[in-house]
Amino acid sequence: MAYSEKVIDHYSEPRNVGSLDKSDLNVGTGLVGAPECGDVMKLQIKVDPQTKQIIDAKFKTFGCGSAIASSSLATEWVKGKSIDEAMSIQNTEIVEELSLPPVKIHCSVLAEDAIKAAISDYKSRNED
Amino acid sequence: MAFDKPACHTCESTLVSRLFCFSCNALQPFPRETDLFEVLGFPICFELKSAELEERYEKLSLELHPDFYDSAPEAEKLLSETATAILNTAYKTLREPTLRADYLLHLLAEKQNLDERSLPDGFLAEMFFLQEALDELLDSGNAVELSAMHDNLQNRKKDIEADYAPLFKKHEDHPEDSGILQQLQTHLNAERYLRRLLERIPASD
Repeated sequence: MAYSEKVIDHYSEPRNVGSLDKSDLNVGTGLVGAPECGDVMKLQIKVDPQTKQIIDAKFKTFGCGSAIASSSLATEWVKGKSIDEAMSIQNTEIVEELSLPPVKIHCSVLAEDAIKAAISDYKSRNED
Repeated sequence: MAFDKPACHTCESTLVSRLFCFSCNALQPFPRETDLFEVLGFPICFELKSAELEERYEKLSLELHPDFYDSAPEAEKLLSETATAILNTAYKTLREPTLRADYLLHLLAEKQNLDERSLPDGFLAEMFFLQEALDELLDSGNAVELSAMHDNLQNRKKDIEADYAPLFKKHEDHPEDSGILQQLQTHLNAERYLRRLLERIPASD
C-alpha cells in the first residue's frame, strides 16, 4: 500500500502521543473503535476553563498508519480551536490533507468520531 | 432456510451448484447476485460439514478449471474463469467459521437495521488497555507473559466462535427476534478486535 508523504511523516513522527489526566474536569476523553478492522483510538482534549479554547490534545491509536496519522493530525488541528470549531472538523478535510485512498477513508471518520467523543465527554462532565 | 434450486439451462435438471450442471456437464451462466452458498450448492445456513464442503469444492474446481476450456468458444472460456473466481471466493469464505458467520449475517441482516458497531459494555476500553499492556510486554520481551496473554485471547476468541452455530440455530427458530442477529453482530465485532491483538503476538517456536 502506498502511503502519502504526510501519512508517513505523521506515522514516523506522530505529534501529541500520550495521555492527559482523565479525572481533570477540563479534560475530555474520547475512545472510539472501528469494528471492521479492529482499530482503537483514544483522543483527549484539555479545555481552558476561561476561554473555552482547546489548549492541549493527546492521542494514542492502535491501528494502521492512516489511522495513526488521522488521529495525530486531529490533535494538531483541535489545539487552539474553540469547542464549536473543533466540533465542525470534517473527516473529508483529513482525507484531503493526508491524501487518504478510498479504502482508508474510515480512518478519517474514526478521527472525526474521536474528536466528537472527546468533546461530548468534556461537555457531559461540565454541565452547567 | 429453503434452497431455491434453479434448473440447468441446457438439460433442465435441478442444479446442485449454481455454476455447473453435473447431469450434462454444462457451465451455467450465473447472475451477479448469486450468493456464495448457491455457488457451492449448500443451503443458506451456518451448519456446514467441512468434509462435504471440501469434496464439493474439489469436484467443482475440476469441472470449472479454465484449462479444460482451452479450445472452447471464447464465451465459455470466459465463463469458466469467472466461475472459478467466484468458486474460490465462496470456498475461502465458507470454510472459515468467522468468515462464514460474517457472510451469513450479512445475507440475513439485509433488511434489518442492525447496529453494525455494537460491542459488549466496556469492551473497547478493555481492548485499549490490553493493547497498551501488549506494548509493554513486547518491549520487555517477557515470553511467559506473552504466551499467557496469547492463550487467554485465543480462548476468548474460541468461546465467541463456539457461539455462532447455536445463535444461528436460534435465529432459524425465532426469525422474528432481531436481537439474535444483533448478538451475532456484537460477537463478530468483538472477534475482530481480539484477532487484531493476537496478530501482534509473535508465534512461539
